[in-house]
Amino acid sequence: MTTNIEQQINETWGQPFVEDAKISIRNMDVFYADKQAIFDVNLDIGKHEVTALIGPSGCGKSTFLRCLNRMNDTIPICRVAGDISLDGENIYDTHKDPVLLRARVGMVFQKPNPFPKSVYENVAYGPRLHGLALNRAELDDIVVTSLKKAGLYNEVKNRLHSVATGLSGGQQQRLCIARTIAISPEVILMDEPASSLDPIATAIIEELIDELRKNYTIAIVTHSMQQAARVSQRTAYFHLGRIIEVGETTQIFTNPQHELTENYITGRFG
Amino acid sequence: MNNTEQIKKSLKKRYRQEKRFRLLSLLAVLTGFACLFILLVDMIINEKLNISANFDLEALQNANFRGLIKQSLHQLFPTVRKRSDKRALMRLISVDAEYRLRDKLQAEPQLLGETVPIWLLVDDDVDTYLKSDKQFGRVSQEQIAWITELEQQDRFQQRFNYWFFQTGDSREPELAGILGAVMGSFYTLLVTLLLSFPIGVMAAVYLEEFAPRNRWIDFIEVNINNLAAVPSIVFGLLGLAVFINFFGLPRSAPLVGGIVLALMTLPTIIIASRSAIKAVSPSMREAALGLGASKIQVAFHHVVPLAMPGILTGTIIGLAQALGETAPLLMIGMVAFIVDIPQGATDAATVLPVQIYLWADSPERAFVAKTAAAILVLLLFLVAMNGLAVWLRKKFERRW
Ligand SMILES: Nc1ncnc2c1ncn2[C@@H]1O[C@H](COP(=O)(O)OP(=O)(O)OP(=O)(O)O)[C@@H](O)[C@H]1O
Ligand SMILES: [Mg+2]
Repeated sequence: MTTNIEQQINETWGQPFVEDAKISIRNMDVFYADKQAIFDVNLDIGKHEVTALIGPSGCGKSTFLRCLNRMNDTIPICRVAGDISLDGENIYDTHKDPVLLRARVGMVFQKPNPFPKSVYENVAYGPRLHGLALNRAELDDIVVTSLKKAGLYNEVKNRLHSVATGLSGGQQQRLCIARTIAISPEVILMDEPASSLDPIATAIIEELIDELRKNYTIAIVTHSMQQAARVSQRTAYFHLGRIIEVGETTQIFTNPQHELTENYITGRFG
Repeated sequence: MNNTEQIKKSLKKRYRQEKRFRLLSLLAVLTGFACLFILLVDMIINEKLNISANFDLEALQNANFRGLIKQSLHQLFPTVRKRSDKRALMRLISVDAEYRLRDKLQAEPQLLGETVPIWLLVDDDVDTYLKSDKQFGRVSQEQIAWITELEQQDRFQQRFNYWFFQTGDSREPELAGILGAVMGSFYTLLVTLLLSFPIGVMAAVYLEEFAPRNRWIDFIEVNINNLAAVPSIVFGLLGLAVFINFFGLPRSAPLVGGIVLALMTLPTIIIASRSAIKAVSPSMREAALGLGASKIQVAFHHVVPLAMPGILTGTIIGLAQALGETAPLLMIGMVAFIVDIPQGATDAATVLPVQIYLWADSPERAFVAKTAAAILVLLLFLVAMNGLAVWLRKKFERRW
């Protein structure tokens, strides 16, 4: 039985490819120095849908996600091989400077990390950086719209100019989302965005993700099966640096093909 | 006996120990303060002598203010006749007295032809004699007799010595002032700050944020750390050989002193700034990078401002070191006897610690007091710098 699983690990089950792909990943390998963390991964991230990445701890979900906006460039020992293309252009070619790429592919991190500035300054930072607002009124508009989209505006409208680190954890995380959407990225990557939040704050974030899907393409890493089932359209199961199975979320959770996937989602593994 | 009781017993003992220790430390601090305070009060009070000066038109025409003083003294002690005795009598008063008399008349010309009482500075030997309860001071028997007589007439008074803070060095202790050394230290530190702060912070930012990890950078790092341990006199030699002999910069100038001290301070600033930069949470960098900030923007919008309190602390520590540094400055000639107050970074100057050394080394007993006063001024400088550091920290912390 075990040998059977080991043999089947090298290929991805399900449908890794979609017709309307925003990001396509082909034959991706990632190394930390000599240690390989991702093995020959193929996956499409569909436009205007939420792709959930699940799998046991240390299987490479964060590593995978961070390659999509070249955040791994900041780790000197990290090396990426293979093709990753955004709208058909290889991001390692066309975006020699990852700055523009990161403006198009935003990221929300596991731990809320607002700048220790005011709420307003946090959201305004990105637009200012890229010169998206011509004057103060436009900037104000962007800030308010982003905060509204992130479902935070009503809670902070009276304290826009007080320091952001004074917000609650859930508010901080939504502020980080507002900050990310303030520069209107095409893709938003989220690495366990709700892992440090209580169920109510989590529910708010999940609703938000569902709402954002209309305008953005989203890839989300999560440890919560329920969350993946609730917010995503497609789900990929990672195991030891490989994608074992990928497909429609409903299909993955109701009728997994691969034994490892089934073990994981039924809680017998990981 | 159970555990709780055992702990209770030892707890009492511990509390007693703590209390004793706290008292002792408080005592130490208070003693230090008391000594400083007594010194300060004593130091800056100088004796003055009251004599009536007759602003005589005739004497003035020859601009003989010295003659005026002589006359007044003669009126006080008409019995003194011998030339040598007269000179000894004259020596009770500071050599500077005649110039102050002149200045007074210049400031108030209406005094011409009047006879008014006026306070004059006494000589340092008389000052020492009076302040040491008549035990020290190089005064002769006759002089002691005169002094006693003058004292009975209430003609001595202790005044706050403003002069000390308004003038440069002098061979006469009662005339010597600290301002020259203060200005020298100021210009030197200014040069040091202007050079070492930007260079140090830039180097730290480069090493932490941009430098590739390779053997060259490791080599540079090791050397920066070594530089911090180089004896300061060696920096002085470097300054002498490179800046004065090779580049021909002026000798004894705060400019050269500042450059040398900047070299000495750099490692401190770099090391402190690097640890402050390292302490900035990586999540801040990720947040900014994730929004599409470039590396330089991340460094200067987020990392450096967040590290600023630490950087400033390091800088102030470095500058405080530089302020107290003597050895390298001796090598570049900032030890000369300089009366004029430096007007810029290229004028010959000396600095506070060197001034302290010079005065401590002088034979006149009255310089002992000057030395102590100079030490106090130096300490005040340090306290002010630390205050500035605290204020800057507060300011930056509030902004973020
Ligand atoms: N900066 C790094 N340097 C070296 N190895 C790393 C680094 N980051 C991750 N790894 C390794 O890469 C592998 C994948 O790590 P990754 O963080 O992607 O896992 P993950 O799936 O996100 O786990 P988790 O669910 O716990 O967040 C792990 O074996 C980890 O040890
Ligand atoms: Mg992770």
